[in-house]
Amino acid sequence: MDRLKLTTALIGATFAGLAALPAIAQDGYFAGMDIEVVVPFAPGGATYVSAKFLEPFFERHLPGNPTVTVVDRPGGGSIIGANWFEENANADGSTVLFTTSSSSNPYVLGQPEVNYDLAAYRVAYSHPFGSVIFASPDLGVSNVTELAATDTPLIYGGISAAASDLPAVLSFEVLDLPITSVMGFSGRGPTLLAFQRGETNIEAQFTPVYMTQVVPMVAEGTAVPLYTGGSIGADGMLSERDAVAPDLPSVYEAHVMLHGAPPSGIEWDAFQAIATSTYAFGLTGYLHPEAPDEAIAAFAEGIAAMNADPEFIEGRREITGGAPLMAGADIEGNVRAALQPSDEVRAYLRDLLAERFNIRF
Amino acid sequence: MFQDAAMALQALLEPMRLLALFAGMMVGLVFGMLPGLGGVAAVSILLPFIYLFDSYAGLAMLLGAVSVVYTSDTITSVLLGAPGSPASAPTAIEGHAMAKQGQASRALGVGFLASMVGGLIGAVVLFLAIPVAGPIVLMLGTPELLMFALVGLFFASSMVGKDLKKGLAAAALGIFLGVIGPASAAADIRFTFDQPWLLDGVSLTIMALGLFGIAEAISMLAIGGGIAGEKMVLGPRSDGVRDFFAHKWLILRSSIIGVFGGFVPAVGASASTWVAYGHAMRSTKDKSKFGKGEIRGVAAAEGANNATVIADLVPTLLFSVPGGPAAAIFLGALFSFGYYPGPRMVSQNPDLMYLIVWSVALASVAGAAICFFITPYIAKLTRIPFAIIAAPLLLIMVLGAQKSTGTMGDLYLLFGLGLLGWMMKYADWPRAPVLVGFVLAKPMEQYFWLSNQLHGWSWLMRPGVLIIASIILIPLLLSAWRAWRGRGLPTALAEGGETGEITTEAAAVPEPGHVTIISTLLALIATIAFGYAMWEMQGFNSTSQLLPGLAIYPGFVLSALLLIQGVRSLRGASWGSFDEHRFLPVLLIYPVAIWAIGYHLPTIALLAWMLLVCAKMRWLSAAIYGGVVFAVMLGMYRLMRADMPGGEIITLF
Repeated sequence: MDRLKLTTALIGATFAGLAALPAIAQDGYFAGMDIEVVVPFAPGGATYVSAKFLEPFFERHLPGNPTVTVVDRPGGGSIIGANWFEENANADGSTVLFTTSSSSNPYVLGQPEVNYDLAAYRVAYSHPFGSVIFASPDLGVSNVTELAATDTPLIYGGISAAASDLPAVLSFEVLDLPITSVMGFSGRGPTLLAFQRGETNIEAQFTPVYMTQVVPMVAEGTAVPLYTGGSIGADGMLSERDAVAPDLPSVYEAHVMLHGAPPSGIEWDAFQAIATSTYAFGLTGYLHPEAPDEAIAAFAEGIAAMNADPEFIEGRREITGGAPLMAGADIEGNVRAALQPSDEVRAYLRDLLAERFNIRF
Repeated sequence: MFQDAAMALQALLEPMRLLALFAGMMVGLVFGMLPGLGGVAAVSILLPFIYLFDSYAGLAMLLGAVSVVYTSDTITSVLLGAPGSPASAPTAIEGHAMAKQGQASRALGVGFLASMVGGLIGAVVLFLAIPVAGPIVLMLGTPELLMFALVGLFFASSMVGKDLKKGLAAAALGIFLGVIGPASAAADIRFTFDQPWLLDGVSLTIMALGLFGIAEAISMLAIGGGIAGEKMVLGPRSDGVRDFFAHKWLILRSSIIGVFGGFVPAVGASASTWVAYGHAMRSTKDKSKFGKGEIRGVAAAEGANNATVIADLVPTLLFSVPGGPAAAIFLGALFSFGYYPGPRMVSQNPDLMYLIVWSVALASVAGAAICFFITPYIAKLTRIPFAIIAAPLLLIMVLGAQKSTGTMGDLYLLFGLGLLGWMMKYADWPRAPVLVGFVLAKPMEQYFWLSNQLHGWSWLMRPGVLIIASIILIPLLLSAWRAWRGRGLPTALAEGGETGEITTEAAAVPEPGHVTIISTLLALIATIAFGYAMWEMQGFNSTSQLLPGLAIYPGFVLSALLLIQGVRSLRGASWGSFDEHRFLPVLLIYPVAIWAIGYHLPTIALLAWMLLVCAKMRWLSAAIYGGVVFAVMLGMYRLMRADMPGGEIITLF
């Protein structure tokens, strides 16, 4: 972009002049800076909507009141935008990659097109992207115990087992539910349509869609909620309920209900790793690997102020299900740990994907 | 319902909202005319501005743009032959051929009026759909969607043209290009050579620009400085209106096809446009004018594409499932204004729903009127030497392509497919089947796989499937019966359904030399490509081999046959006075130069070459004109936040 700016200025076009209006001198790390938030998905998706929701609050609360611009760079299920970030991010923390498990799962699994080193990135902020698993009322079940006992074939519709459907598929493994997963849909919108048409009878949706579309279906009796992915508890495991649907058991609790004991073993370890990055830190803003601690601290400071802003608290309900925005050094540790699971977990995931879904890397 | 509608109209008629709608329309009209920059580009560029207004005005602005893109794209398609947007490729074929015969006015008039009707039908459907479309969309299960794709393929079979081998090879090529990228059935990533820019497959925009736009730009450069007797005669405007009324039922049927295309998520305006075009062919007795300037082709295509883009809003508003890419951005805008589409929205925000209908209807009518008004002025542009128009046209197409992935890959594809399109144009291989195969390949594969996984083979007996299948089977059976009854009467056979297009032209003129040479080269390239694809696909899971196999094996055989046939007739074939191929090296040099040293210098050199050498402009005027074009392009790159990749070796400037 620098080349472009220079040339444009040389030619005397007015665009550059407009962009460079003198910023009012401000204190704070981001004073006078332009922050670019890169969303590697098309405008209109949940990540884009969340980024646009956060944009004005960042401008208001980040130290130095930078201008914030959300830019979409869709393609390759987020890989193209993340690859772009790897090559073009500014080291001062003014470029943010705001993305989901669509970037992290291919990274963890080592997909060949991935050119970005996600675990090396600094973590600026994150909010959960909870998921609720629900069933068709045609099954005549009201909870996960009855579901496990039903004789009706259970069909789950998904996009790709190696991307955002992975934690749902792993939850079926942990709970040992006899669900057939049919992959190949083109999005979570079409899977919800197929569920409404009765072509599938198990479905999962992330927070924003759950809050706005599925909650009314539950009220009408056209969907029966079963369980959520859970959220991180004091023990560091995904053992707590999710704030999106506090009435529903987590996978952890559902395992206790079904099998009488807390989950353990390689299936649970794999679910924990993948669900942590998919659900608990579902939407995460990453910075350049060399972004200074001052930038991380500035985000933490601004986000603390945002979480106290009544307007933000009001608005975040439909975006995050009410959860606050997280920032600071400890979430960086959690995110990085989830992005680097043990070799055993990686091997288990690769075997599962190869065996069930013919996915080989 | 009517009271809500009246209140919504009143709300829209506030000056600020009308202004926003009008501003959106203006952007939509301009972007529709620029090849490669269609509704998605218009809506994304407007997106930051909608927040300057209240939610109603902001949404009206986006709708204004969406509603007119497929109206104004007719102008570029007809006058220049480069499709203004992918969904007007049939218009570029038929309308441009008419323009060359001095009938541009007819083509444009019918195109605008058909677009308007398509838009209005879309608006009416949206209005009626709000209370009732929910169940209809839910009735269309995956197997029904598969059947729609097959109906599309059946209609498209009319487009194969008179040389069966070339037409089918072209269709196979289209399906082959369409399956590049991830398979829907199993996790195979096909024919991407590990390049991230192929992960989503080839973009439809680049396909349409490459196959049609680049070839036209080359021809324009070859015509060069002179207007070569090509002075555009528009013809009287009243012709267009008369033709419109003569084909009103066809336009109505095409609009309904378009509406169904919109109901089905992920089947874009392109697919339904081709289906409507195929329908126009099947319903026309004398098919000889198709490809050479058939007004019915324009009427059907333009009626369908506008109807689709508006009916796209039905699944968007009722189920939050965007019907197309522009609708997806509109959905995001709705979210950001705090509206959450879904069945609830009909009862919660009826005024908003009807405001959307009114915006679309008003914009459709006003957009067509504006197009009528500006056409004489735009047509004057075509009196400028073609090479002078080609310069900005080519650069805009490059920018349009760059919006796909923002990597060098977009340029390789654009110019690679440009070469393919140019060769097909002069080798007499029909280009329509390539695009049809391309747009239908992925939906066919996906819906077949999902139908079988979700329903087993029982989907074949679903009532919806049987009803849609009858659309294909009844005409087939009818023509078979007619053929059987008319045994011994060769003329009747020639008219019957499938075989109708393959009339033997006894008095065929011998092929010009350049056609033989280019066709043979093309067959060679196709044979190698299919041969390689056969080898690579052996590594896929069997489910991912099915659809590619259906295209690649026959494609290999057909192109090999064409190669043998070509080599045999190659002796004695000469280029004659044909010299357009001398312009082809630029397709290679320009992208490679950008790869090596970045966008600026190669673009300046290209401009200089086009203006000084091809258009033979004088130094001073070329410098001024070229400078303005270059500055505008840089401004557009900035405005559209498009990347400028390249400069791998050294970035100059």
